[in-house]
Amino acid sequence: MLTLLILIPLAGSLVAAWLPRAWAVGFALATWFESLWVLQQFDLHTPGLQLLEYQPWLPQLGLNYSLGVDGLSLPLVLLTSTITLLVLWGAPLSIPPERRQLFNSLVLLATSGVMASLVAQNLLMFLLFYELELIPFYLLIAVWGGQRREYAAMKFLIYTAVSGILILGGFLALGGLSGSLNFDYAQIHPEHLSQRTQLLILTLLLVGFAIKIPLVPFHTWLPDAYVEAPAPVAILLGGVLAKLGTYGLVRFGLGLFPDTWHLISPGLAAVASLTIIFGALAAIAQKDIKRMVAYSSVGHMGYVLLGVAASTPLALVGAVAQMVSHGLVLAFLFYLVGVIEVKVGTRELDVLNGLLNPLRGLPLTSAMLIAGGMASAGIPGLVGFIPEFLIFQGSFSAFPIPTLLAVLGTGLTAVYFVILLNRTCFGKLDNHTSYYPAVTWQEHAPALVLTGLILWFGIQPSWLVSWSESTTAALIAAINL
Amino acid sequence: MDQLLIQTAWLIPLYALAGALLSVIWFPSITRRTGPRPSGYLNTLMTLVALVHSLLILPSVWQQPQFFDYPWLEVAGLRLALPLEVSTVTVSALVLINGLNLLAQVFAMGYLELDWGWARFFSVMALFEAGMSALVLCDSLFFSYMVLEILTLGTYLLIGFWFNQSLVVTGARDAFLTKRVGDLFLLMGVVALLPLAGTWNFHELATWAAGARVDPTVITLVGLALLAGPLGKCAQFPLHLWLDEAMEGPIPASILRNSVVVTTGTWVLVKMAPVLALSPVVQTATVAVGAATALGATLIAIAQIDAKRVLSYSVSAFMGLTLVAVGTGHPQTALLIVLTYALGMALLVMAVGAVIWNSITQDVTKLGGLWSRRPVSGLAFVVGALGLVALPPLGGFWSLGELVQSLWSSDPLVAALVVLVNGLTAFSLTRAFSLIFLGHPQQMTERSPEVHWPMAVPMLVGLGLVLHLPLVLQAAGWLPATLSLTPALALTGATGIGIAAGAWVFARPGAALPVRLGAVQAFFAYDLYSVKLYRLTVVAVVGIISRVVDWLDRNLVDALVNALGLFSIISGQGLRYTTNGRLGFYVLTIMGGLILLGLYLTWPLSGSLWAMAPWSPVPA
Repeated sequence: MLTLLILIPLAGSLVAAWLPRAWAVGFALATWFESLWVLQQFDLHTPGLQLLEYQPWLPQLGLNYSLGVDGLSLPLVLLTSTITLLVLWGAPLSIPPERRQLFNSLVLLATSGVMASLVAQNLLMFLLFYELELIPFYLLIAVWGGQRREYAAMKFLIYTAVSGILILGGFLALGGLSGSLNFDYAQIHPEHLSQRTQLLILTLLLVGFAIKIPLVPFHTWLPDAYVEAPAPVAILLGGVLAKLGTYGLVRFGLGLFPDTWHLISPGLAAVASLTIIFGALAAIAQKDIKRMVAYSSVGHMGYVLLGVAASTPLALVGAVAQMVSHGLVLAFLFYLVGVIEVKVGTRELDVLNGLLNPLRGLPLTSAMLIAGGMASAGIPGLVGFIPEFLIFQGSFSAFPIPTLLAVLGTGLTAVYFVILLNRTCFGKLDNHTSYYPAVTWQEHAPALVLTGLILWFGIQPSWLVSWSESTTAALIAAINL
Repeated sequence: MDQLLIQTAWLIPLYALAGALLSVIWFPSITRRTGPRPSGYLNTLMTLVALVHSLLILPSVWQQPQFFDYPWLEVAGLRLALPLEVSTVTVSALVLINGLNLLAQVFAMGYLELDWGWARFFSVMALFEAGMSALVLCDSLFFSYMVLEILTLGTYLLIGFWFNQSLVVTGARDAFLTKRVGDLFLLMGVVALLPLAGTWNFHELATWAAGARVDPTVITLVGLALLAGPLGKCAQFPLHLWLDEAMEGPIPASILRNSVVVTTGTWVLVKMAPVLALSPVVQTATVAVGAATALGATLIAIAQIDAKRVLSYSVSAFMGLTLVAVGTGHPQTALLIVLTYALGMALLVMAVGAVIWNSITQDVTKLGGLWSRRPVSGLAFVVGALGLVALPPLGGFWSLGELVQSLWSSDPLVAALVVLVNGLTAFSLTRAFSLIFLGHPQQMTERSPEVHWPMAVPMLVGLGLVLHLPLVLQAAGWLPATLSLTPALALTGATGIGIAAGAWVFARPGAALPVRLGAVQAFFAYDLYSVKLYRLTVVAVVGIISRVVDWLDRNLVDALVNALGLFSIISGQGLRYTTNGRLGFYVLTIMGGLILLGLYLTWPLSGSLWAMAPWSPVPA
């Protein structure tokens, strides 16, 4: 039952506020098993929605409790449940014991919201949870964040609220103009609208989701939010929440406006390459490793957009796979940066040095950081490569120049990761200051699990792509009708 | 049994990989109990297994190639199957790779005797072995690209082995980025080639290229992109800098790198030769770059005072010669050069490494007089050098002879250049030999005894291999069928003149050392000032642009978006101080959120208003 994906974390968030941490992890684990169960029930060869559930909620508003999952949401559901589990598991590292229960509760609440948005099959329901997310995330940043947490949290809140308003506008226009006042996906038929109207609505949605993803130039909330947020929250923001933006773009942009999509796709491809190059170049100039990783996230979402814009079957499969890959790699990097921050006490590139030192440094963490950086730079054999490659191969025929620019972007990605790794892991450890607390196996564990996933999906990418293949193929087929 | 071994040829790269993965056990904690050595023994054993497996299947596949196909990824109409070619050439290459890695690893046991990083070193060496074995076995451009990228990462880790030293850190960085530049062009080529050819399989590409009708501009661009990847791997101008800096890494790694890792570029070029041949521009570019590097790098080598760098620039030079061979349409000759070169160069690096190990310096001007103290190293150097350049009957003579002969009438200028490069290399190596082994002992060489067996044995084995290579070539039937007298004489003469000149300048009694040639010498000694050139151009441009982008991001984009009305609240930071303490602030926010939600829920009721909007729905 898909409802359980929403209910388990929701119940967990109520329970975890009072009970010990083990309960929160237990609920996250239950959610994870539930998502595996969904995977097991899911028929990979059917493109449409599966495991449908339907309950009228507020029919006079056109709001129905309508759930379903397809190849687009399934990978993200799995990603969300996995990352939530790892976040709660690894949270003690950066979240002090006091108020940790509240933290656990809010994380589970956020998960519940993301799950609901992903499986919702009603525009209003999607939006309801899309907006509900803001509350737990705002609190998570504002309570546990760094020095400028209130500024960052407020900025995040306002930007995302604006995103929500724009999307709401788009949805209302869709529902209203379709005349049905029923916001179930199945009932929305914008193809009857004039092209001008379609373009108008699509633009509203695009800008709304562009803020959430975020794309240049709407990205400036991201570095602040990601950097000020504690590591577990940054993981959730980048690994899970940002995916709602790209998910929305595919589901409501490409999915609902197949006829109009080709009008805006060249522009989107240009924005995508701009985002990739801009994010990478900005990352090169950063002096704070967390900020560098944050900017890398900006760049990597550009690849997703490029694949979506190109809208060939290959590129779209790549884009969905890239969402998962980006989620895993970003969670990995933020977790390791969090470990370094806690143990070494700084994130400054100019201060960090020689952490690969086997005796006094953090050798295992450094080794994993190298793997993470390389995965992000798209080295084959790690999860980042195949999605990017599919996007490049799929987009090249449609948009050769933006694709080549994107390839250039992966080169720039390598530049800043080499800067990061050279300064952080390589070099000579300062013997006078290097009395770092040991990283326990408990603290290593989430990163080790992510290492396993990153390697596994790198060596065996068929899983990653087969989840979404039939759905994306159907979406593209609708465009090319 | 034979067939079983052939069918399991895919295991050969995996042996090394398994060793590399098992080395993870020797992470610091266990190293404290066992010492680092077991990881090295384990990896060497795995290499031995791979070597034995390759040797066992070599006779069975001789002239009887077998092809295998393993499905890997099939998505949205793109079928990525891993095609393997188990044939004479590929299995011979496997033997070469595994054999040289075995020598390098045994050498490393001596060279890194006191090092604690064995697990890291040996596992990265194993990664290289696995990568190169996979590269020669796989028959697909796509998988070749994948392997080359992984090896780029391996280069980064291997050069960065002694990461405490600042030069090592920058060397690793430059190697990674330079190779990555080449790899990305290769990626562009790989992506662009598929829509044209419809396949990445080398054999199918060759068939396609035979009858292909393509837009000359397009195929030229694609060809140039495909050429750029090998340029980086082979350390050709202008992507040659990394090899020089890679010499900061440990010497056992250099044995493998200088002898076979750089040839991965040539290997891919040879495989792609039919595609490159589609565009005359690409072929000319290949020859031009190869020729320029061959001559330029040899001249640079002569001006180096670092013994390792003398060799590393010769590496670029010989790789340049292989490019010349491929560009002029003689890929088989390129492979022959690779074979004779790899053994000679491996032996040279081992000899120099042995000297450096206990002379503590690699500055040739501070060495000297080692011939009587170091007979094994000295002999190894001599034999390696003679095997590298064209001197009958050793290997280099046959491979370079075949190249010169095939160019003699068609491209006499290029042939002359090859002869010249051969002579200059002979001069360069004679110079290095004279400075290291002849003359009077200096401070650093007074107490420099011969090395212990883990380094001496691989050297002796290598020595035997180089000396026996002509017999192997003859037995395999790889010697040129005929070698006309003129090219043979020209090459041998050039070698003789080079040696004689080198001996005259550097070894004659009473030679005025060091030789100084002022600005010309500095120009070559500093690698044509390419470090400065890069720092002033590419590095500076990326640095400035990224800082400009960062500034724009902070001061323009952020401000602009914030200035769009609503956001000015935050930039003014007014809101932060309007609430008393945090709790009120949070409550306010939650209230705000709830109000927003309420709005969303009631707003649809006004949906009927929308129906009256000017863009009312078009009737179906």
